[in-house]
Amino acid sequence: MVPIHYYLILSAVMFITGVVGVLTRRNAIIIFMCIELMLNSVNLTFVAFSAYLGNETGQMFVFFIMAVAAAEAAVGLAIVIALFRNRQTVNINDVNILRW
Amino acid sequence: MIPHVLNVVLFLPLIGAAAVMLARRSDSAARWTGVVFSLLTFVLSLELFFGYDANNPAMQFVEKVSWIPALNVSYHVGLDGISMLLVVLTTFITPIVLISSWSSITKNVPLYIAMMLILETAMIGVFSSLDIFLFYVFWEMILIPMYFIIGIWGGKNRIYATVKFFIYTMVGSLLMLIAIIWLGYYASTMPGGEFTTDITMLFDIAPTIPLGIQGWMFAAFALSFLIKVPAFPLHTWLPDAHVEAPTGGSVILAGVLLKMGTYGLIRFNLQLFPQASLEFASFLSVLGVVGIIYGALVSMVQKDVKKLVAYSSVSHMGFILLGLFGVTVTGLQGGLIQMVNHGLSTGALFLIVGMIYDRRHTRMIEEFGGLARQIPIFATFFMIVTLSSIGLPGLNGFVGEFLILLGSFQSDVLGSPWYVVFAASGVVFAAVYMLWMYQRVVFGVSRNPENEKLSDLSIREIGLLLPVVLFIVWIGVYPSTFLDKTESSVQRVVEKLEKVQRGEYLTTSVSEQ
Amino acid sequence: MIEIIFESIPSFWPEITLSLTFVISMIVEFIVGGKGKKSTGMTTGLIVLLGFTVTILQMPFQDLEPRLLFGTMITLDPFAAFFKYLIVAAGIIVIVFSMQSHEVRRQETVGEFFCFIAAMTFGMFLMAGASNLLMIYLSIELVSLSSYILAGFSKKLKRSGEAALKYVLFGGAASGVMLYGMSLLYGLTGALDIYSIQSTLAAGMVVDVHDWSFVVLMLSIIMILVGFGYKISAVPFHFWTPDVYEGAPVSVTAYLSVASKAAGFAVMVRFFYVAFFDSVLDLGKWGSLPLVDWNMIIALLSVLTMTLGNVVAIWQDNLKRMLAYSSIAHAGYIMMGLVVMSDLGLTAMLAYFVIYFFMNLGAFYIVMSVADRIGSEHIDDYRGLGKRAPVIGVGFSIFLVSLTGLPPLAGFIGKWMLFSAVIEAHYIWLAVIGVLNSAISLYYYARVFRNMYLREPLNGDESPITFSPLVIVITILFIIPNIIFGVYFGPLISYAQRSVELFLQ
Repeated sequence: MVPIHYYLILSAVMFITGVVGVLTRRNAIIIFMCIELMLNSVNLTFVAFSAYLGNETGQMFVFFIMAVAAAEAAVGLAIVIALFRNRQTVNINDVNILRW
Repeated sequence: MIPHVLNVVLFLPLIGAAAVMLARRSDSAARWTGVVFSLLTFVLSLELFFGYDANNPAMQFVEKVSWIPALNVSYHVGLDGISMLLVVLTTFITPIVLISSWSSITKNVPLYIAMMLILETAMIGVFSSLDIFLFYVFWEMILIPMYFIIGIWGGKNRIYATVKFFIYTMVGSLLMLIAIIWLGYYASTMPGGEFTTDITMLFDIAPTIPLGIQGWMFAAFALSFLIKVPAFPLHTWLPDAHVEAPTGGSVILAGVLLKMGTYGLIRFNLQLFPQASLEFASFLSVLGVVGIIYGALVSMVQKDVKKLVAYSSVSHMGFILLGLFGVTVTGLQGGLIQMVNHGLSTGALFLIVGMIYDRRHTRMIEEFGGLARQIPIFATFFMIVTLSSIGLPGLNGFVGEFLILLGSFQSDVLGSPWYVVFAASGVVFAAVYMLWMYQRVVFGVSRNPENEKLSDLSIREIGLLLPVVLFIVWIGVYPSTFLDKTESSVQRVVEKLEKVQRGEYLTTSVSEQ
Repeated sequence: MIEIIFESIPSFWPEITLSLTFVISMIVEFIVGGKGKKSTGMTTGLIVLLGFTVTILQMPFQDLEPRLLFGTMITLDPFAAFFKYLIVAAGIIVIVFSMQSHEVRRQETVGEFFCFIAAMTFGMFLMAGASNLLMIYLSIELVSLSSYILAGFSKKLKRSGEAALKYVLFGGAASGVMLYGMSLLYGLTGALDIYSIQSTLAAGMVVDVHDWSFVVLMLSIIMILVGFGYKISAVPFHFWTPDVYEGAPVSVTAYLSVASKAAGFAVMVRFFYVAFFDSVLDLGKWGSLPLVDWNMIIALLSVLTMTLGNVVAIWQDNLKRMLAYSSIAHAGYIMMGLVVMSDLGLTAMLAYFVIYFFMNLGAFYIVMSVADRIGSEHIDDYRGLGKRAPVIGVGFSIFLVSLTGLPPLAGFIGKWMLFSAVIEAHYIWLAVIGVLNSAISLYYYARVFRNMYLREPLNGDESPITFSPLVIVITILFIIPNIIFGVYFGPLISYAQRSVELFLQ
């Protein structure tokens, strides 16, 4: 059996990749994908812990996260499309009417 | 006896303000309503003066109703000699202010009258509150009407002046808020104590605070009051506010608002924190003396009469500060009577400056000259008030300044004659700048043809100044009318401090009320 | 299992009503609504209004004996009920606002707007009682998703789309971080409900101070704090707030600033109050988290939040944006109540929320009404407003003075309570910073009434601006509580005290 550390390290790496992506990338779609990556690392952690602890509530949580993530992506992409129609850009550096 | 007379005096102006705002159809209706309400308040407040039992040092006319049981806050008001005198001063000045603005305020009249009446309630509330929470509410209530009075009806630079006034006062009072809450919690740490903001209880509890913390408490209260006084380094808002305020605003500011600072020092700093008061006494007296001399010197070089009077206020308030922190009965009595004097004579000076400004639309000394021949009644009144401000024997200013100097001289707390020497030099300076100003404005030859067209005071204006002059002379000749009323209250304050000084103050056995 | 659900349903009627409101209004919108049929949008609004009214009428009949519903998902206690009243009352007011707002009404899809208000309210109800990490996450997401849509509701406006995008990106990232924290906490304790987490941590079995597990625990709490901090817009998680508040329709901004913030505080208080309470060694709040002074961390966050909010607000010329920063500052003040974690602190928070409700909604209502009439939120366009529209001017001044915290208005009482709480706990320095912040806030609030009263109108236009009687009446209805709670606040405080006393530990 694969020790739990492996899962945790993998999910931590995924999470950090996601965070770094959110902070550094400037394309709204890619930022969304990075957020999804963060959520998936969470899923992995939950599943790993759930299996390790022999406690199924963690897996239950994962289903909810997946469902909500889908809803969030739907809303988010809709907003990106609405913005694109208005501005013809999805680069968040160009989205800057509101400052200070 | 009128039942609940203090409540009536306190809230009548507020009702008047509501009436004015409701009857805002015509300006003259608003003016009359305002004057009637303020005169009625004054007449009722005479009951406070004559009904006050001078032999009884305890609080009188006390009203106490539980207000917020959850915080142990009550509506608790009452007067001792000190506050009674100031309440009557307030009710006396307000109608004068309202009548004085009869023709000079033409814009938004009902609002002006209403603001003045709200201000009156707040000022009476400040002087009569026996619960610090209530006191704080009234204290902050002053800000808004004053902001608008200076900001709407003021001179050219009014917005700058009013914002400065607002920020200065607010910063000071917010630190006091923290000290107030801390005091309440300190009371709850006493055996069997609970959170309280009742001053009569805190008078016994607060002096037991360890000296180090007491110093901070003292400082937090004093900062707020010293800004209001205003004491020397914190005075810079005053000239701006005075110069930009309309005449009525200046009169009320000089006449009553500044007294709230000195009143607060007596009521809170001296009585709640006696040990710290003794520690800080010489420091504050030095501030007072510096204020006296600084104010006088700066007055001397002013070209604008109103600014000159404003700076002379700094000097006069310095005297009061010195009187308070000599911690002698004489000095405190002097300080108290000087508070009234300053209210009367500086108030009258601002009225006079306002009257001449209404006629000439300038206040520059160099523009005038030779007014004595042109408008003799004006010159006469101006003379009396000027002399009163200088402190000529026979007029009120002399009594106050003499008692203050005598008190500081006798003071064990200050223990040095130098305070008196420097302060006395302020009297000399005062004579110089006031008389020099008077001479340039009233005597000599007219430096501007406009002056020859001036008309003398109207009946209304004479009616305004006459009562003030009456009291100026009355206090000068027979001050006992007023001093007798305050003596026992002042004595009580001083006794407490003397006990502390002798180390006799037993924190648990003192029962003052 | 199924019995637990059946047992819980009778205590769940208000929430059921809200979810039915959402579903029914959505169905009505699908069947009769459509492009260009604005009148049906208003019908949907009325349905939602009706649903909210039924909800608020049901609540007094609820038995508030503290207990758990649906296993450990939701806690029902007077503390939660307090927030629910606040939320649904704000919801009703916001619907009334939105029905008047041109900004909302000119949208084609106005009906959907009201549906999402209902969804958001439902989510906030769940947040107020959530006592399980899963429910905390789901309720926060329900609120967030609805508010993303509402923030971007004025599709044609560029700033609205931008606000929504920033909101959704920031919100998504924040909830991702929070979830990761939750997964770590789950791994350490093996539990999702906060009561089990509390008992596991308090027993001291799972976490060793000298071990990696302690670091992981700290990390997880900080990450969860990020999620909550984003919801209450605490610095440094506030970046979305000004943009969203400015870009969203005013009524949505008002709702976010009052109700969403209140719900965020409710869930945050419940989580931190319960989960880390040490009952075994009797160390009290935060007791099971040794070594780190969490009170100090919250205190620093509070100081940062109020100072940044107030200082940046000074430079704002758009009133909506100024109020956004002011609401960040107010979150900072409210956090002072959380710092001390005492009953007095919580009482102060609750009382402050009620007062904040009236003063902030009032202020936003004025900004909305004025923007509808003169088409601007710029501070210079408020010049002379005091004379041109007296009631609006007086009302706005009262709300702003109350927000500053000057007596005799309600805001002063709120500040008094909060300062009392921190001073009682000997955080004098925090109180000093708090009052200095009030002084700063006075400066920018005073700018507004300086413009309204002391300055002449921009282009000399002194003609009166007339508002409909309804606007005047609503303004006066907001003025009244601001004055009443300033002079007579005993019942408010006792009610807040009772709500805190029965907090389910």
